[in-house]
Amino acid sequence: MNERDDSITATNVTSLQLLQAVKGFIAETVIPALSDRNQFNARVAANVIGIVQREQALGPALSALDNAAFSQWIPDGAPDQDVVPQISQAIAKRTIEPDTAFLDYLKQRQLLLSAINNPRYANRAAAAEKWHYLDTDTNSAEDTR
Amino acid sequence: MGPEALAEHLNRVLEGLAIDHPIGTRVTNLTRLSGGANNETWRFTWHETPLILRRRPFSAESVENLDGNILGLSLVDEAHIIQLAAEAAVPVPHIYTVLETSHPLGESFVMAFIPGESIPQQWLKAGAFSSARKGLAYECGVALAHTHTVDCSQLPQSIKPVTLAHRFDGIQRRLEIFGDVSPAMQFGLNWLIDHAPEDVPCVLLHGDFRTGNLLVNEQGLAGILDWELAHQGPPAEDLGYLCAHVWRFGNIEKPVGGFGEYADLLAGYRSIAGWAPDLESLKYWEIFAALNWGLVCQTMGALWHNGSGDIERAAVARRRSEAELDLIYLIDAWGTL
Repeated sequence: MNERDDSITATNVTSLQLLQAVKGFIAETVIPALSDRNQFNARVAANVIGIVQREQALGPALSALDNAAFSQWIPDGAPDQDVVPQISQAIAKRTIEPDTAFLDYLKQRQLLLSAINNPRYANRAAAAEKWHYLDTDTNSAEDTR
Repeated sequence: MGPEALAEHLNRVLEGLAIDHPIGTRVTNLTRLSGGANNETWRFTWHETPLILRRRPFSAESVENLDGNILGLSLVDEAHIIQLAAEAAVPVPHIYTVLETSHPLGESFVMAFIPGESIPQQWLKAGAFSSARKGLAYECGVALAHTHTVDCSQLPQSIKPVTLAHRFDGIQRRLEIFGDVSPAMQFGLNWLIDHAPEDVPCVLLHGDFRTGNLLVNEQGLAGILDWELAHQGPPAEDLGYLCAHVWRFGNIEKPVGGFGEYADLLAGYRSIAGWAPDLESLKYWEIFAALNWGLVCQTMGALWHNGSGDIERAAVARRRSEAELDLIYLIDAWGTL
């Protein structure tokens, strides 16, 4: 999806492709032209675009997971409001039993979140291997850098 | 304040100190080092003596430790702690002078420059440091045991004994202020409350004892930096913090800071203290450290929202998911929910 389409008839440029173009510009043009703190920040900027790209791809799966957890554990919640704070508050009030089913939800959630925010975090690979039974497909948005 | 004005003020301060120099000496080689989030660190030379200036470039009006902000101690209190640590045989730089907020340089102190490498990515990999790395976990245990011997009655007023229950309340408050956005951190806090140790001794902790705050030379541990998060708490906290996944620089198979083994850290500690915390209590504090890192990431995000800091701060806010992953991973591995 991120590859440039060679077909002369392709005129549409998706938002993901625009982000890829900006990331390429930062990597190829901006970073080499800067030094010190500004160069460091340009690298951070390229990484940030990677986060946005991966969130575009995996965000819907994360929302679906949170909504399903909300339905399961907070039947009397307010579905028209943000569900994640309501889940946190229910944990704080201890109205959700901290059993393995709930822990599995948190594991799946963290695999998705870390695939978005930092797929190269060392402990992520260890966690993904240990929790393979959850069968989450978080590698589809593997780092494109 | 620009470097020239800084140097002028430093000249006046240093003329009055007992550091060997001929009349007319001026500060040379003044260079800003990459510093922490709150303080500036400058390196310079005074005649033939390399020195370090730590200064807080703004007035920190509400400095409260562990209770909602990351400013930590005032620099005056930090200098005081470093001096106490030096008396307790901890490798720290000698403090030459401490300046109060009313001084033109602002709250600051001048200390000795200790040669060594402070960038972990350098000393964790380079062959020149291989023998240093072998003994480092033991030396960290020794240094922490010495730190924990400091007489708490000598501590500045800002470092009061704080109960774990009080700290848990503070963390709960911060999770709420930050919008309850992290089920994993709330889950982690509940777990930490349910598994909290009882009747633990309260000692002076470095509070930020991690790989990035060690100064290492080819012989081993040369110095311990950045005491601004010093506080009182149980000894195992400092040891567990050093072993937190997030401070292992990717070497997760080396539990002590990405370079050493638990047994060496504990043996070093035992050699001075005559006892050492058990491994389970260390692991408890690793989980606590993971939650703490998540809070730091959230704080970075909040500071950025308030217009303070550049893109790095915004990006660090997203590293919260590392802390959350660690929390769930470690609690899962612990075996009891």
